[in-house]
Amino acid sequence: MRKLLYASLSAVALLAGAVSLPSTALADWLETAAQPFKGKEINVTFLDRPGYRAIIKLLPEFEKKTGIKVNYEIVPYENTREKQVLNFTSNGDLTIALVDLVWIGEFAENGWITPIDEFTADKSITDPNLKLEGFFPLLIDAFGSWGGKTYGLPFDNYSGLLFYNSCQLKEAGFEKPPATWDELLKDYAPKLTDASKNRYAFALQSLRGETQSADSFMRVLWPFGGSLLNKEFKSNLLSPESQKGLTFRQDLMKYMPPGIISFDHAEAVNALAQGQVSMITEWSAFYGTLTDPATSKLGECLAVAPEPAGPAGRLPALGGFSLAVAEQAPDDLKKASWLFIQWATSEEIARPYVEAGGVSGRTSIYEQPDIKAKYKFVEPMVASWQKGVPEFRPRFPAWPAISEVVAEWGSKMMLGEVTTEAGAKEIGTRMEGILAKEGYYDGKKELLQ
Amino acid sequence: MVQIQAKLNPGYGRWTPFWFLAPAVLALLVIGIYPTISALVTSFRRYNITRPRDGFPFVGLENYVNVLSDQTFWQSLGLTARFFLTVLPFELFFGICIALLLHRPGLGMLRALARVSLVVPLATTYAVVGLIGRLVFNRDFGIANQFLNAIGVGGLDWLGSTTGAFIAIAIMDIWQWTPFCALIFLAGLSMVPVEIEEAARLETSSKTAMLRHVQLPYLLPGLTAMLILRSADILKLFDMVFVMTRGGPGSATDLVSIYIQRVGFRIFDMGTASAQAILLLIVTIVLSRLYIKLIYKEIE
Repeated sequence: MRKLLYASLSAVALLAGAVSLPSTALADWLETAAQPFKGKEINVTFLDRPGYRAIIKLLPEFEKKTGIKVNYEIVPYENTREKQVLNFTSNGDLTIALVDLVWIGEFAENGWITPIDEFTADKSITDPNLKLEGFFPLLIDAFGSWGGKTYGLPFDNYSGLLFYNSCQLKEAGFEKPPATWDELLKDYAPKLTDASKNRYAFALQSLRGETQSADSFMRVLWPFGGSLLNKEFKSNLLSPESQKGLTFRQDLMKYMPPGIISFDHAEAVNALAQGQVSMITEWSAFYGTLTDPATSKLGECLAVAPEPAGPAGRLPALGGFSLAVAEQAPDDLKKASWLFIQWATSEEIARPYVEAGGVSGRTSIYEQPDIKAKYKFVEPMVASWQKGVPEFRPRFPAWPAISEVVAEWGSKMMLGEVTTEAGAKEIGTRMEGILAKEGYYDGKKELLQ
Repeated sequence: MVQIQAKLNPGYGRWTPFWFLAPAVLALLVIGIYPTISALVTSFRRYNITRPRDGFPFVGLENYVNVLSDQTFWQSLGLTARFFLTVLPFELFFGICIALLLHRPGLGMLRALARVSLVVPLATTYAVVGLIGRLVFNRDFGIANQFLNAIGVGGLDWLGSTTGAFIAIAIMDIWQWTPFCALIFLAGLSMVPVEIEEAARLETSSKTAMLRHVQLPYLLPGLTAMLILRSADILKLFDMVFVMTRGGPGSATDLVSIYIQRVGFRIFDMGTASAQAILLLIVTIVLSRLYIKLIYKEIE
């Protein structure tokens, strides 16, 4: 009897050991790998957004386990690229690069970030459970890779989603959100707009800057079959499809609040949160703002769906950041940074990261029933990440210059200062000028976007 | 002179003035002259810091030719001139009104209080002025529209329309810089000798005549300084406008400094941006010389 008791006790102990194995294994792995780097300090740039606040909450755990100190500086998005570029060109102190989807080409081509195969070859500093295939392929492809090489791991991931006020939609007689842009414009928008009550159907954030070029302009190109560039890297903005998208935006403006051209993300989110508009297409990261009673009146009325589809299908906005090791860092700090990046994007940390307000790029976490049930944005977001265009905005080094041109003339189109055709022509000429200077037309440069 | 000084003070030598001036000159060299020369050199180079592999070769006047044939540069410079001509008359007019009000005798504590409160807008950081502007001119809950609604004129879409946005940044600039004009004019008014002012009062009761013939000559040096400072300041006005409108909507508030920042720190084309900055420096110097020549007069 006693033997049986001992046997069953040891069986239970073994089982308990086995269940806790993954996290112990991770802890052991990370602790062992970090041994040589105890006391080292690594430096990274963060944004003031939910994904970064989430990782900051979890940082003490990493620092305790590894003895590596993570110094972060929080910078407004508009200054992040400027700060990092100046740091990299003056051999500064950053050991990790925060890479926006549209910077990957520039950072990689200038050799400011290190390809991960330099580290994965070294087993002593690589997570045995790294599993690159565990990331959404679209994300690792779009945020982390350039020219067939992987540089960064997806860290702060967004998809454009349709956030809507289901109560207002119901009042107007709609049980479901619009499935297509066409439906949104023709059926939903007229019924949801009442200018005398300052109520509008839709808000599309369009402030001049990256908001205009990425969130507003590009958003209406892809679903309508249009694009910025054709295969030869010439402007595709005068194609019937692109023009259709741009005209659609002009038509939809009738159902947006006046002054939409001065709306940044905060204004669009706020307009929905305060009940002024019924629908917005915004980054998944704003879910937290819209559910927080301190910043939103929506409560149970908030609902989330994938972005409406266009004639070319559902091609929602894609955005987000990866973390990559900065080439300028000394070798030991590079390795320490690599440990941090693996930890911050690992499957093991995905749950606490999501629960702290982050959006993980790992597929497995979104298969968990409780996560699906608790976060309304999960299902539409996962659906959006199944198919998409990595080059939603071109990721080559010329994008910042082109983005400025698009922002200027895109706003002029919305204001009615130029027609969509004249504006598209102007953007096309200037954009081709920039691309010619870059050497895309004389065969000096591979046509990568 | 040196001998006399040395006799009076044995520690005074030939180099004494030099040592007193040295710290200021050194600081000027480090923070003023060196960066200017460096910008001048950069302006003759193709210098895009995000393309280090292309090198930074000297290209002669290419950047200047590009800038001078760049339509957007001229447009933004024209807009800046329009901005200057819009805000300055208001600032000068309100400035002199406030100064004359405060110059009246017998205000006591009120004058001291007014002087202190005049410094508040001046002490506010430009970026904060921009943030205040965003709130004041918000279409739905901004105080500007509440005021317009209260007096029966409907609310305006300030930051969302081209004219509205231009007026909004102009109002914020006038709010911030009128006190500066007022303080400078007030200082000018207090320079007028009391006996001259009293004698003039016996001669005439017309306030306009007083202002024109007695007070104005004392205001001219201050006016010149103000013109020089405001011209330079508006040519480099960036933070407030960037925070309020980022140069938009369209290019309604795309002042030349906003454009240069974009070329320099978004496209990182430092060569072109430096050429633009050097051209602006030349404009400022020419304007300053003009002001001094046309307006400034020594008071006898």
